[in-house]
Amino acid sequence: MDSQLLNPTSLKSRFTARFLRALTKINAPNPISSSSPTPREIFQRYRRIKVAADKSMAYSVRSRTTWSRATLSRLRTRSRHRRLASFGPRSSVTTAAVLKKTSSHGKENEGGLGVQAGELRELVPGGEAMDLCNLLDETAHYIKCLTTQVQVMKTIANLYSLE
Amino acid sequence: MELNAGTAGTGSLKTASERDEVAALESLQFTDEIRRLMSAPATDNASSFTALLELPAPQAVQLIHSPDSAKLIAAPPPAPNVDDFKGSFNFPFNSGLIERATRFSLFAGDGNINDNNKSNSPEPTSYNSSANLQKPVKSEPTETESYQPLVSDPTVENRSTKRKDREKVKGSTKKSKTGAKDSSDDAQKLPYVHVRARRGQATDSHSLAERARREKINARMKLLQELVPGCSKISGTALVLDEIINHVQSLQRQVEFLSMRLAAVNPRIDFNLDSVFTAESGSLMDSNFSGMVMPMMLPEVQLNGNRQQYPQQLHFDAFQQPVWGTEEVCNNYITPENSLLSYDSSGNSASLHSNQLKMEL
Repeated sequence: MDSQLLNPTSLKSRFTARFLRALTKINAPNPISSSSPTPREIFQRYRRIKVAADKSMAYSVRSRTTWSRATLSRLRTRSRHRRLASFGPRSSVTTAAVLKKTSSHGKENEGGLGVQAGELRELVPGGEAMDLCNLLDETAHYIKCLTTQVQVMKTIANLYSLE
Repeated sequence: MELNAGTAGTGSLKTASERDEVAALESLQFTDEIRRLMSAPATDNASSFTALLELPAPQAVQLIHSPDSAKLIAAPPPAPNVDDFKGSFNFPFNSGLIERATRFSLFAGDGNINDNNKSNSPEPTSYNSSANLQKPVKSEPTETESYQPLVSDPTVENRSTKRKDREKVKGSTKKSKTGAKDSSDDAQKLPYVHVRARRGQATDSHSLAERARREKINARMKLLQELVPGCSKISGTALVLDEIINHVQSLQRQVEFLSMRLAAVNPRIDFNLDSVFTAESGSLMDSNFSGMVMPMMLPEVQLNGNRQQYPQQLHFDAFQQPVWGTEEVCNNYITPENSLLSYDSSGNSASLHSNQLKMEL
């Protein structure tokens, strides 16, 4: 009977739990029978949902990977920027400088793959300060997590649209 | 005596390049001396012949080590095969002697070049110490093959061929060497991975480390190829990386589109969803919806201690559990849900059944 049950501690279930809770949190303020929301509201909700998705995925991974740590710190500094607009630019500049120093040393032996490695670094969060070897590891885990995220969100969106 | 005078005359020439010629001259003088002795009546041929047999090795050694002290050649017994002997130290009845003689002559030539005239072990001075110490046997036959005809001309040709042979020996020893190389000796002491150097590859520590890194990177690329669909057919690291980048970009875009879609969906359904997964943990089994939702409920159900046996109780207990169990809860989360559930329970159950029907379709 319970053939479709997933492992309750797997990445998928952890992400689903967190994401659903976040979704309900985001959708809670709206009353049930509201008129169609304005595009502005939709855009705001879209941004919040996107942040919630990334955040819940990063929390499900905890700090095991560099990209999750980078995502979490990025989200935290962004929220901090929103609140303390005056102090924001300074911290971002210093972190960027530190990252550049570490990355230039670690990127020595790329072979002939410099262009692609640079693009990959931009895509994977926290990829600037990693050498090619670790970058490939991080990319593999990141792809796996992104696939899970897409799967879960697709299912939820389908459920919503069925109603 | 004449020989002594001759050698004394030649002994005055101490330059490195002319020492080879001295050795050649001495060999020629030796043959001349032998011829002279042969023409003279020789009585004890047999005994002198055997004496000659014993002579070559020590004679050659002394000849080479100290070309100016060739007084030892003073009484060379006659040899029956003096023609063979002319210009070369070939004694075909003793191949070991030949090898040693040729080797010594070679090294004499090179030793003269290197200004090591009287070194007792000319081999290590002319080759890399590691190569020699490890494979002296291998070097001997290669040398004797190429050097036997050249013994008579210990001049520049000797030097060049010797260099070639040195490189050949290096290559062969490289092939046979394992991780123990002179430049990477520290690699033996440290607990690192030992990489065997293949023939024709550099063996310094830098290239070894680079090769290990490249192998690690290639292994990871293989894993990535399996992850990304359609990547296993592509060959070449750059193209595979391009595919991986495209895949990551497409996944990120998909997440964005889906979140836009979720934002656009009517939020009314959301509460139903919430109540649905609180109430349906016991009832919904077959749909994929339950496949997604039930595992979420399981930890909360286990907190309660009852496993899908009392769905009625679960309707409220399980709902309250997550509220207190998580750290992300905020206060206004509770009130609308509770209020909704309290007065809309009938409506929820109705929509719940409709939802169930739709899923099973």
